[in-house]
Amino acid sequence: MLVKDCMTRHPVVVSPDLSAAEAERIMVENHIRHLPVVEDGKRLIGLITRERLRLKAEDIGSYDVWEITRNLARLKVRSVMIPLKQVWTVTPNRSIERTASLMTEHKIGCLPVVEEGNVVVGIVTQVDLLESFQIMLGLPAKGVRVTVRMSDQPGEFAKLMRVMAEQKWGVMGIGSFPDRRHEGFYFAVLKLVGADEAAVATVLNDIPGQEVVDIRTVV
Amino acid sequence: MTQPSAPILKVENLAVAYKVRGGEIEAVQNVSFDIHRGDSHGIVGESGCGKSTVAWAIVNFLGANGYVKRGSIKFLGQDLVGKSPEELRRLRGDQIAMVFQDPMQALNPSMRLGDQMKEVLTVHRGISESEAEDRCVDMLQRVYMPDAANVMRRYPHQISGGQQQRVVIAMALLNNPALLIMDEPTTALDVTVEAAVLDLIAELRREFDTAIMYITHNLGVVARVCSQVGVMYAGEMVERASVERIFAQPQHPYTQGLIRCIPTLGEDKASSALYPIPGRVPPPNARPAGCIYAPRCDYAQQRCRDERPALRLLADGVQVRCHFTEEIDPGQWTPPEEVEEMVETVNGQADAATPASTNNGKPILELHDLRKYYPVTGGSLRDVLGLGEKRFVKAVEGATFSVPKGSTLGIVGESGCGKSTLIKTIIGLEDSTSGQARFMSFDITEGLSERNMALIKELQMVFQNPDSTMNPSYTVGQQIGRPMVRFGTVPRSQVRDEVIKLLQSMRLGANYYDRLPRQLSGGEKQRVGIARALASRPDLILCDEPVSALDVSVQAAILNLLLDVQREQNTTMLFIAHDLSVVRFFSDNVAVMYLGQIMEIGPADAIYRPPYHPYTEALLSAVPIPDPTVKQKQIRLEGSVPSAVDPPSGCRFHTRCPRRKLLPDDGAICTRETPPWQEAGDGHRIFCHLPLETLASFDPVVESLATH
Repeated sequence: MLVKDCMTRHPVVVSPDLSAAEAERIMVENHIRHLPVVEDGKRLIGLITRERLRLKAEDIGSYDVWEITRNLARLKVRSVMIPLKQVWTVTPNRSIERTASLMTEHKIGCLPVVEEGNVVVGIVTQVDLLESFQIMLGLPAKGVRVTVRMSDQPGEFAKLMRVMAEQKWGVMGIGSFPDRRHEGFYFAVLKLVGADEAAVATVLNDIPGQEVVDIRTVV
Repeated sequence: MTQPSAPILKVENLAVAYKVRGGEIEAVQNVSFDIHRGDSHGIVGESGCGKSTVAWAIVNFLGANGYVKRGSIKFLGQDLVGKSPEELRRLRGDQIAMVFQDPMQALNPSMRLGDQMKEVLTVHRGISESEAEDRCVDMLQRVYMPDAANVMRRYPHQISGGQQQRVVIAMALLNNPALLIMDEPTTALDVTVEAAVLDLIAELRREFDTAIMYITHNLGVVARVCSQVGVMYAGEMVERASVERIFAQPQHPYTQGLIRCIPTLGEDKASSALYPIPGRVPPPNARPAGCIYAPRCDYAQQRCRDERPALRLLADGVQVRCHFTEEIDPGQWTPPEEVEEMVETVNGQADAATPASTNNGKPILELHDLRKYYPVTGGSLRDVLGLGEKRFVKAVEGATFSVPKGSTLGIVGESGCGKSTLIKTIIGLEDSTSGQARFMSFDITEGLSERNMALIKELQMVFQNPDSTMNPSYTVGQQIGRPMVRFGTVPRSQVRDEVIKLLQSMRLGANYYDRLPRQLSGGEKQRVGIARALASRPDLILCDEPVSALDVSVQAAILNLLLDVQREQNTTMLFIAHDLSVVRFFSDNVAVMYLGQIMEIGPADAIYRPPYHPYTEALLSAVPIPDPTVKQKQIRLEGSVPSAVDPPSGCRFHTRCPRRKLLPDDGAICTRETPPWQEAGDGHRIFCHLPLETLASFDPVVESLATH
């Protein structure tokens, strides 16, 4: 899955000359937390987050009430946005795992998706990524979710697949992760459709060298 | 992927008013809808109900005297109403694109297509010339434009209408807009081209996640491309629901009426009837105080006349503007008496008289191998000097058929296939090149000037556009009376009475006698056109697309009227239409034409069932069916109709025939030899090399038709 498969296309964008208060209102009304700032031709020049619009005590400490209001009313998006050179972006063809690692590495919640010339074509947020991982593991469909432990030797997974083919079970989602306690072992998580929980348990446990560690029917 | 919380476009309680002399008119009132990413929202309604005004309000095309009076239009979370033009330009900028009905209006005829397309990118985005070129070619390929790189160097007039519309769509998508407004984008196109464009729209919507606002009057098109539908009537949104719901359980009486107005493919005049909606759409300055639809509604009660209903949200997500929608059961609906009566008589007559009138009836019109060629003069010196080879546009080639008295022959085919030329040759506006044509016992191969009065009187015509066939300075009475005086069918002193009688039979009152054409609505004009054709009491009426310029509710009334006329006077009719459902409904026999050649002819129900000609099959699969649950086979013809100056050798359809491969050698015989006429029984003839058994083995295009 690539970014272009999970991003939100045509995101809400704002122009740099919009007042900060208006930008805040747009975010609240549309239930979003990030606004790419674009100039003509949808070229990205910055990003606004809700955090960015929050008033900081040290900034307003020296003002009286009237000054705060006046300054806030005059505040433009351009002066509060994160400028382009500090904004991380991705292209539509990046893989979602690289995108996810970019986000965790820099602790950021959203990435504008841009094409050449920094033209904004979409936005991808943590929520989008979490949703794609759900789909990759086959969450939306009803079926049997089974976790099998196997060694990391070549041919192990093929054994499993062969059995599945014989039984004519369909695979809705698939994923794997290393066993932390046993070096050289892996867990494979499969979501099967058209299968019966008990039958899956018996058939898969019969495969030599593999073990069903968890099985459940998910609706 | 995530269902975004905010729609791309949200219109709330929109009211658009035009300032006119002596006040202002609210063309649109209380319209609310929203469109999400990747959604396609249909807006349907009759003409003049404010569909386009809504679209114009969104892009601020309202003109100098129009303005948004109330309500809000939120595009990507920001309100478009009350912003300065500069702010609007930036906000809409390249995020909203529009596609209109006539592609030629959106293309500059004096610029090469490539330059026009590149402009979009170089101006809006500052992309370099060469990169813009690459992107344009890429986009043209996405809309399945054959030979994209070459098309870039052509001028708009050098490509066909369907291709022009593709260029416009490609141009609209170049900037990757968030919202695409399409205002009747396929209305001007042939069914086969329309089908391809509709497929394209559905595909692009999925690929680009663009929100589409689709304005149309054609319910069949809505069923094919839209996910949500809003029905508009007289400037108000009266119902809004998912496309399946609208067709399966229409809630508002107007929606129910609209659906009863249209013939579905497979219905014929013997087994079903069309129920026009009585009355007409009130003009914006004379809308009733209560429910806007009350004067035409069968269920109207006192409350409807007093109190305007609000758009209510029903339990299952359907929005409807009606006080009594829960109490209305469309299954209990009974047609108004006159229509009912007519259906019964038509049915009764059909049972008793069909075999006699369609098969054994004496032919009133007989054509044998009729041809009409137009000479073409080339531009070269040889041609000018008369040395070059003589070339012809073969507009009609070998037309052979006979029409029994009192029956209707429908003629269908794409534009440019020679339907109108055939009719013009019969009525005498053109003389024929060769072949025989007899009407009763007269020879009608000569042009009009060679014919005598008695013959001219017996052949009359109803035209597509009543506007352009009526003298705007003559009153209705004069227009209808003229043929009576001219042919001397009625003594001068009785003309007025006779005209009024005719008007009454057209369901127009005597008060129409002194009106001028501009005081009539489109449907009324067409009624006058029919009355004029009937004035000389002809035996044969030629109808050239008589209903295609009319709204569906009016169309139903006109079709009923024509049926009525035929029943009373036993008139014979030739009926041209591009809408296959209408032809099927109206005709006893149908002829399918392609490039001047009749490809298939036979009784109406035989044409719509296998065995059929591969071209008929493709036409049938292209018809938009107003029912989203019907499964239709997808057969799309490639390329466009070849030139009639130099038609393909052998079978004229072989260049586009999808079934040719069924013959040995990939259908080599089709390119060499003219196909034989194959008799499928009951006067059903097919012009094809494929053996009848093969043709009969095709699956029906539309599943529901198989059961008929």
